[in-house]
Parts: sequence; C-alpha cells; structure tokens
Amino acid sequence: MGMTYIPSTLGEALLLRAETGAHPLAGGSDLMVQSKRGIALAPEFPFPVMIITGLDELKGITLLDDGSVEIGALTTPAEIASSSVVPWHVREAASGMGAIALRNSATIGGNIGNASPKGDLPQPLILLDAEVVLISVHGERRMLLDDFILGSKKTALGDDEIIKSVVIPKHDFSYLFYRKIGMRRANAISKLSLSAAAVVKDDEIIDFRAASGAAGPKVIRSREAEAILKGHMREEIPALMDTFLEAWNNAISPHAMPLYRRNTTKRMLAYFLSAIHEGKEEGIIREDS
Amino acid sequence: MLNEIVFYVNDKKIVFNGNPLTRLIDVLREDLELTGVKEGCGEGECGACSVIKDGKLVTSCIIPVGAVNGSRIYTIEGIRDTEKGRCIIEAFAEGGAVQCGFCIPGMVMAAYALLSSNPHPSEMEIRKGISGNICRCTGYDLIVESIKLASEKGGELWA
Repeated sequence: MGMTYIPSTLGEALLLRAETGAHPLAGGSDLMVQSKRGIALAPEFPFPVMIITGLDELKGITLLDDGSVEIGALTTPAEIASSSVVPWHVREAASGMGAIALRNSATIGGNIGNASPKGDLPQPLILLDAEVVLISVHGERRMLLDDFILGSKKTALGDDEIIKSVVIPKHDFSYLFYRKIGMRRANAISKLSLSAAAVVKDDEIIDFRAASGAAGPKVIRSREAEAILKGHMREEIPALMDTFLEAWNNAISPHAMPLYRRNTTKRMLAYFLSAIHEGKEEGIIREDS
Repeated sequence: MLNEIVFYVNDKKIVFNGNPLTRLIDVLREDLELTGVKEGCGEGECGACSVIKDGKLVTSCIIPVGAVNGSRIYTIEGIRDTEKGRCIIEAFAEGGAVQCGFCIPGMVMAAYALLSSNPHPSEMEIRKGISGNICRCTGYDLIVESIKLASEKGGELWA
C-alpha cells in the first residue's frame, strides 16, 4: 500500500508526481470504486496516490482568442454540460454521464486518464480533434487525444506528468449528431455511442467525420472512411453510402463486436447521411426515439 | 501539503487527521454517527448515501475525505429541521412516498438539490433529478408525486 498525499498547489502536485510517482485521484468516481474494500474500510492502492480534487489551477472552462475552448482537467461533467462555450457534442455527452451526483464529482481529466473504452467524453473529443495538455516539472506538452489514448486503460501519460487540460478547436459544422445507447435513459454505462458532424457548402461535403464509442479498445475514427465522402456532392450520398458504411464497419472490425452494435452503428450513420442528402435544415439531427 | 482535513458537516467544524482515503460516508456514519446516510451499493450508483457538498448533490461512498477540505457538507440530519427539509419530508409522508425507507434519505437529498435549483420541475425533470437514486419498493411514482407536492406546497420557499 502506497502513501496518500494532498498537495495544496499544482507545483506541489508536480513535484510529488516526479518524486513519488503518486497517481492523481480527482473525483474518485473510478478509482474509489476500483479499489473499494467494503463498509467502513478505506480503499487501498498498490501505488502512492495524491488527492488533487482541490487544485483550483486545474478547474474551469476558458474560451481562447482563436475560438478554441480549454477545459481544465478537474472540471466536472455538470459544469461542462451547462457551459455556453463548450461545443455541443461534448455538452451532450457530459449531460448523459451517470446521474446528477456523479456528474457533480467526476472530472474530464479522470474520464480521459482512466481511458475506459466506455468512457463518455473521449468519443466527442476525438471527433473534434481535441488535444490534451500534459504538465510536469519539466514543462508542458500537447498531443491529440486520439494519440494520447493508446487502448483500453492505456495512455501515453508520462511517469512524471499529469493531465492539465483539454483544448477543443473551433468548428463550424452544418450538421451534428450524437447518440448514446445504454440500458436505460439515465444513469447508464454506454453500450454504444456515436457522434458525427459534417460541413456542407454549396451542396459540397467539405468535411465529414464520425466517432464510435464503446466499439473497441478505444474510440474509433476512420480517416479512410471519412475520405470516401469528403469533396463529394450532397446528391452523391446514396451512391457512396454502402462503400462508406462498409469502410466504417471494417474500421470497427478488428475485435469481435456483437452484431447489434454493428447494425445500430450502421443505421445511425445511414440516418445522419440521409438527413444530409435530403437537405434537411442545418443543425442538430435527432432520431425519433 | 495538507496534513489535516478541515471541513464542515451540518455547520459543525470537523478536523480529520486519519487516512485521507477514508470514504466520506464512513466519516459521516462511523465517526459522526450520522446514520441517516445509508450505504447501498458502495459504488456511487444507488444514491442512498447522497449528501450535499458545496451546494451540489454527491454520493458520499466514492468521495475520499481528503477531497473535501474546506467543503460544506449537509446530510439528511442537517436539513430535516430546516423549512425546506420539512417541506419535502412532510410531502413524502402525505404522498405515501415511503415504504421500507432505506432509499428515502438519499431521495430527500436529491429532491432538495433538485427543487433548490429548479423550483417547479416537470415530471420528466423530477424523474431525471432522482435518476441516480434507486428504490426497490415503490416503483417511484409516489416519490415523483410527492416531490411535485413539495414543489407546489413549498411555493416561495424554493424560489
């Protein structure tokens, strides 16, 4: 069993991280559950832990000059969901995480650092090409979240680093889609989730992107599949549909994935693409559920 | 670096010197004998241990006490004699919301948090407001009705 520390400042936390390798504990909603021992017993960890919940330097949401949005690692899903500057896909995912109490204590840094394939926030963040800012006593570095999350429960976090924030670049999508499918409408773990977005100008598909959550060891993006649609005209969608859906299906293929997940993903993508093809009013495309 | 954790529970100052990973629920139940806080799942899923931390509903079974330094915590014991607390508890009694009662302290805390931020919730908003609180007896309908009743009877109290 390791020591437990409560740093008062980010500087202290970085020193502790460098000297002891202490793992950061933020909201506790993953770590406290993974290491629980039962009634009236404190969880035990096989490594040192630092409780960073109180570090104000890692909290808050900032709209940056270039239009991108920086979200501090200790920001909660409740704060993200109610922010007016956070992009829609991310707010939508945050508002569907667990129930109210969990959304008040979980953190975006924890959701990313835990790197669960069923985590709700990485999926829309990877759709939007979000970057993660990592900090250590040696300074900061940034990388695409898609590169930071290596697989199930695996990240590129250095032994001396902690997650400082997430930066989401500005996008101006014509069409947006998000859907999480769980066992019930609230307080459910994702069985499957999908987000998608497109930019259509003068009937040309300038940008098309999608991200599947809970569909493999990490969030699935397929640039190859996206390229099938990009640069084509709206009216070509029916002709390209099958090729695109097949490419997407192959992108999520490597590991055994139940048929219903594949079929549901296909159906949602086809629904979104059909809405674009039909020239539906620009904005959020919602399925009647 | 913090060596002791100072926080407030039901307006009483608490100084904690033990293991910072001790679950908040254990400090509340074992040390402070606030046994209205119930442990159901121990995983933050059932809501029986719900308390209000700095104005927000949280589940005390997944929060280490080391994370509450400087916080103000309210449990069912801290709100039951307030006007708002009485309003909800009387509405629960009048509406027949209680069967075995195990989930009820958590339900009352969730209702308190809901009505404090949304004085006149719709039925769907009430259901969402208690979606993190599991009840195995009532089927929820009478709890939902009772929260609606508390919203109506409380009137200005929640504004």
